[in-house]
Amino acid sequence: MVLLAIAIFIIGPLLVGLSMGLDRRITARLQNRRGPPLLQPFYDIAKLFSKRPLVLGDLQGMFAVFCLAFQAAAFGLFALGGDLVVAFFISSMGAVFLVLGAYSTPSPYSHLGANRELLALLAYEPVLFLVIIAVGVNGSFLAGEVSRDLLGRIPLALLALVPVLVILLEKSPYDIPAAHQELATGPYVEYSGPYLAVLELGRWYQLAFVYGIATLFVWGDSAITDVAFKLILPFALLFAAIVIDNITARLTRRRMVSFMLTAGVGLIAVNLVVSYLTGVI
Amino acid sequence: MGLLDRIGVRSPWILHFDTGSCNGCDLEVWALLTPRYDVERFGGVNRANPKQADILLITGPVTKKCEDRLRNLYEQVPEPKLVMACGNCASTGAPFHNCYNVCQGVDKVIPVDVYVPGCAARPEALIDGLIKALSMWEEKARAAREVKG
Ligand code: SF4
Repeated sequence: MVLLAIAIFIIGPLLVGLSMGLDRRITARLQNRRGPPLLQPFYDIAKLFSKRPLVLGDLQGMFAVFCLAFQAAAFGLFALGGDLVVAFFISSMGAVFLVLGAYSTPSPYSHLGANRELLALLAYEPVLFLVIIAVGVNGSFLAGEVSRDLLGRIPLALLALVPVLVILLEKSPYDIPAAHQELATGPYVEYSGPYLAVLELGRWYQLAFVYGIATLFVWGDSAITDVAFKLILPFALLFAAIVIDNITARLTRRRMVSFMLTAGVGLIAVNLVVSYLTGVI
Repeated sequence: MGLLDRIGVRSPWILHFDTGSCNGCDLEVWALLTPRYDVERFGGVNRANPKQADILLITGPVTKKCEDRLRNLYEQVPEPKLVMACGNCASTGAPFHNCYNVCQGVDKVIPVDVYVPGCAARPEALIDGLIKALSMWEEKARAAREVKG
């Protein structure tokens, strides 16, 4: 059991890295380009680690390391089959360290990015939290013991994960914090070299956690179909996010927050109310 | 570290800076980043951020006003770094020879690794230059570590 957890802990972020490479390739194909090699995100991380470290003060580097540590702890707890709510709060703490790191530098771009990252947190965290609550009331909050029929019971919660992923993957229409065209990567702007790589790894762990929640929705009868389903679903979600990215333009930050707090929260609420009225929960 | 350096060649993040060119070379540099010449095939992306850049694509003859800015940008790029002078202007300042307001080329201000000639430099030549510059990456990385050590 522990060995399985360790395997998930290591393979999870690697798969996320691979999905990032796939993402860049598919996006390139959609734009009629060839795109980078599939392993490009790993090359980038290796390159960043070989650059000379450069930080603006002690805090900046420390926050980056904390961000990675908390995200990895959240995913580790998930891999061990632990409490989803606790993992969620640890992961949120990691996201807050990213914001703190951005605030710790005197750059206005970084501050703007941090403000927007806080707005993004405000937008996706309630939805993600409600997804976890919905998973919990349908069985158990422990990742290792959730109900095997989540897709039948709360399909709308899975749907609500799509906009959450769009925000986390920094894709249009909600690539508000990074905003490549105007803020030059927002909260990441003052980071470079190894510290940028550490933050990126933190992001991989955060995404692994969210994809992990999505994998709880599908189960196969045998071990092989189980793993296959659990692999296919996150890639399907990623593909949906890529398509949305390529057919939409960026919306304003207010629209992001209001959409997530109405449509996102609403979807899950409707699902839970219907479940309650029909006596499923 | 050797392995990291070998992998690093595959991920050249670009910073493009115009030091007062006629925009001819800038258009060609942008052609690299757009679908036709798609430099992301080699892992290159335009980061528009000196702190995250590995290779500087500099166009223009460096006007006196731009001199300090160019030096400032160069100093913000963490080692190892490469500099590519794109076009005749950036290489020698030729079209603006003896003008009172230009420095006559990028290498008068910061060290240059690769010169790409042409007015304007063709995208094919720029890709050649990029590959040539990247062949120096491992050596640069080693040198940067020795200086630090
Ligand atoms: S080399 Fe020619 S095309 Fe390029 S910036 Fe100079 S004048 Fe313009």
